[in-house]
Amino acid sequence: MIHNTKCECGHQNPVGTVLCENCGKPLEDEANTAPLEMRYDGVARRSQRENPSIIDRVWRFFSSVKVAIYLIGITTGLSALGTIYPQENTFLGIDPATHYAENYGVLGEWYYRLGFTDTFGTWWFKLLLIMIGASLVICSLDRVLPLYRALSKQQVRKHLSFLTRQRVVYRGELPSDRYMSGSEASGIQLVTDLTPLLKKKGYKVHTDGSALLAEKHRFSRWGPYINHIGLIIFLLALLFRGLPGWYMDQYIGFVEGEPVAIPDTPYYLKNESFTVQYYTEKELPTEFRGQGRMVPKLYETKAVLYECTADCGMSGVEPVLKEVTQHDIQVNKPLNYRGLLAYQFDYRETPQIRAIRVYLTDHKTEERYGPIELSTTNPKEQFDVGSFELILKDYYPEFDLNENGTPYTKSRSPLAPAYIFLMHGPGLPADGEIYIYFAREIDKQRFSQDKLNGQLAERFEIGASSMDDVSISQYTSYLNIRVDRVLPYLFAGGILFIIGVVMGVYWQHRRIWLRIDEGKEITIGAHTNKNWFGIRKELADVLQKAGIRIDQKQLDNGGNRK
Amino acid sequence: MNLEQFSSNALMLAFILYCVAFIFFAVGMAGKRWRDRDPVQHQARWGRRAVWLTMIGFAAHIIYFITRWISANHVPTANMFEFLTFLGMMIVAAFIILYLIYRTALLGLFAMPISIILLAYAAVFPKEVQPLIPALKSYWLYIHVTTAALGEAFFAVGFAAGLMYLLRVIDYSDQSKESRRSKRGIEYTVFAVVAVIGFILITNMFNSTGYTATFTHPMEEKDETGTWVTVTKTVEYKLPPLIVPDQHTVVHQDPFLGAQLKGLEAPGWMKGLNSARKLNTILWSVISGMILYGLLRLIVRRPLGAVLKKTVDGIDADDLDEISYRAIAIGYPIFALGALIFAMIWAHEAWGRFWGWDPKETWALITFLFYTVYLHLRLSRGWQGKKSAWLTVIGFIVVMFTLVGVNLVIAGLHSYAGV
Repeated sequence: MIHNTKCECGHQNPVGTVLCENCGKPLEDEANTAPLEMRYDGVARRSQRENPSIIDRVWRFFSSVKVAIYLIGITTGLSALGTIYPQENTFLGIDPATHYAENYGVLGEWYYRLGFTDTFGTWWFKLLLIMIGASLVICSLDRVLPLYRALSKQQVRKHLSFLTRQRVVYRGELPSDRYMSGSEASGIQLVTDLTPLLKKKGYKVHTDGSALLAEKHRFSRWGPYINHIGLIIFLLALLFRGLPGWYMDQYIGFVEGEPVAIPDTPYYLKNESFTVQYYTEKELPTEFRGQGRMVPKLYETKAVLYECTADCGMSGVEPVLKEVTQHDIQVNKPLNYRGLLAYQFDYRETPQIRAIRVYLTDHKTEERYGPIELSTTNPKEQFDVGSFELILKDYYPEFDLNENGTPYTKSRSPLAPAYIFLMHGPGLPADGEIYIYFAREIDKQRFSQDKLNGQLAERFEIGASSMDDVSISQYTSYLNIRVDRVLPYLFAGGILFIIGVVMGVYWQHRRIWLRIDEGKEITIGAHTNKNWFGIRKELADVLQKAGIRIDQKQLDNGGNRK
Repeated sequence: MNLEQFSSNALMLAFILYCVAFIFFAVGMAGKRWRDRDPVQHQARWGRRAVWLTMIGFAAHIIYFITRWISANHVPTANMFEFLTFLGMMIVAAFIILYLIYRTALLGLFAMPISIILLAYAAVFPKEVQPLIPALKSYWLYIHVTTAALGEAFFAVGFAAGLMYLLRVIDYSDQSKESRRSKRGIEYTVFAVVAVIGFILITNMFNSTGYTATFTHPMEEKDETGTWVTVTKTVEYKLPPLIVPDQHTVVHQDPFLGAQLKGLEAPGWMKGLNSARKLNTILWSVISGMILYGLLRLIVRRPLGAVLKKTVDGIDADDLDEISYRAIAIGYPIFALGALIFAMIWAHEAWGRFWGWDPKETWALITFLFYTVYLHLRLSRGWQGKKSAWLTVIGFIVVMFTLVGVNLVIAGLHSYAGV
């Protein structure tokens, strides 16, 4: 079917055009007098092509706002279903296959089977988001280009039926008290008189003899496209998060006083000290007092971040660390070093010896040497104490004996540190003697240190002089270590979205067309994309100042109000 | 009188002024039919008075807010009482803004009750200033909560205007199927509001008499090693127990109307810590709502919608439609900014992830998507009038569920704001 798309004004329009691109005359259904469909000013869109190919069909599918609404609606409904029971990620170490059936019965079982226990990670949910993304791109492209074309070349004098079929219409005669009827000059005079009034309301006014086009806030038409671009950036950023190096998320425990390597990075982080504070009874409201209620006030990890410059992650060798930053990490105050983020996540009370300062006492001479410092995580291998030399032969962080009576360590945590030294010095054999030292008094008794050391125990004693020599780390602070390189893009997308929405809904694109025919008949048509009440009021106001009294309600020509 | 006391007095004053303003709005409407007066003038005069009262009330409300902020040393939007009070204040603000645009004073007749009901509902929750836990210590508490609430307030006013539109266009003498459906819909909406009022009345009543009942009941829990153990939990009721926990033991129970109430045991599948208590609360609101609704029906002997319809006579229906839409259009970006963008920034700072599909987050997204659909249907598909007005009603239900329902029914990370 071939339409004749040439308008009577001589302009050749593309197929699918509803209103002539030049004069605005309706090309279809000319006898009708109902208000016009003004969407995108009646220009043809790609999705309206005839004889569509497969690409055209896909394009047409995604360019439909109806489809977009369905997609959003379905996503809304499924998200709501996803909040009925807690999602899998809210539990630690459960088997979802049995957990939901055990806890929520038959409903829970089906919830799991249908995939709702991980709604937001399922393929169908992701597919929906991708489809919404496609719809955003295609809907916008399909409309923004034709709209841009239509708005950038507007004719001032429009076809009469274009004006009378607007939703805001005024038809009347020139007010006889001010203008002489029937003269072309009076028409031009009215246009000249209206121009400053409209300009005062913020309109840009274009005139063409006795015709006028006043337009304002055209930029608000771009609002929807800007907000869609914002959303597209947001969704793309989410996709990019899947790329290696863009996203990292790990939970690491940091015991006080010990730099710990952060895997996959050159960084080490040291928890210098961890503090937890609770509100005192006095700070609590009266209704909470006396219930023994503990309301936390502060969690804080004093953290130092190091960059490892050499010998990183090699066993037995001390890595070379360079301090790069310090930060007191609190909830809401993460450490941030070049995109590496450390959040206060959890803590545990884990009292353990961090280091102990010990003296070597020679009972024969009653002389005391030292002190030397024994670390429980990475002790030095050789010590010089007075005229004696101690060589660390073996170190067991958590000492124990197995069934055969051989020593071994139960874990890497210094819960029962034991040091086995080879001692050299005056009065000792040339190849030295073995001395075993337990840092904790309780272990000394339990494994009978003195018996193990035999005769040597009578001559030498290694030990701390007071509790001040023992440095204890009280807490392990668990930090959430993250890298999320897409965050700036996500927030930029979000902000762009808001800017677009505000542009689109807080301002409205308003246009007023006026023509005076035969020097006396005024025809005004006005269009806005939103807020009809506003434009009617504005127009009535301007007309009144020009001597034409009319109530805003009378300008209403019916039709859909948006 | 200390500052905290002064602050709550200011709130009380605001509440009373709102109530009086509401009565003035009603007089403005009802008085149109009184003798020897010009209806238009009468309505304009009383409307103006009511708006003035509303503004004075709003000023008192702001004084409450500022003084409480000073005395608490943090923004008073940190618990349910403070949040609902703030939301009530924002609804009045949204009403004032829309009044300034459209000069339709009658909007107050429906917008003010929402604020009043929220303030009364706030009184159900503990009112004392509570110290902030570490997660809440952030200036984002100020920014996120306040902007989200302002956006929601506009949705609430959009709902008020939408409901007025529906009442305005409905024809109670029409017996067609579509009209009967609309009438039923309106009656359900009115019932829901009445049930909320009933619930607030009954809870405040029992709270003021200090009613309590305490039960213990066994609950299965996983201990640290992952094995199931049975522990004994204690639940305290503030309403007489119509529903008691499964396999409960009574620790203490005040008599109700002189009798020891013997409640029904909650079904075995309701295993949550407070699920029996929550079911009991819901049951009480339905019962009190039904009683209140029944009484009102007995007095007026007509559907309540038909009575309310009288109040919107003579207002231009298209203007209502427009106001409703504009309220939502204004609220939409504010809500998106506060409840999603700012929320994401804060979540990123406090929890280390900007989005975690926590129920509250998900419901904020659902609210946002719902109004996105609303705007697309209206702007691109030409839905206006009735269809669009019904969407504002549903939308408000979604908003209220996000604010209150999620905390009551689902809970999650945001539960510190809850009951």
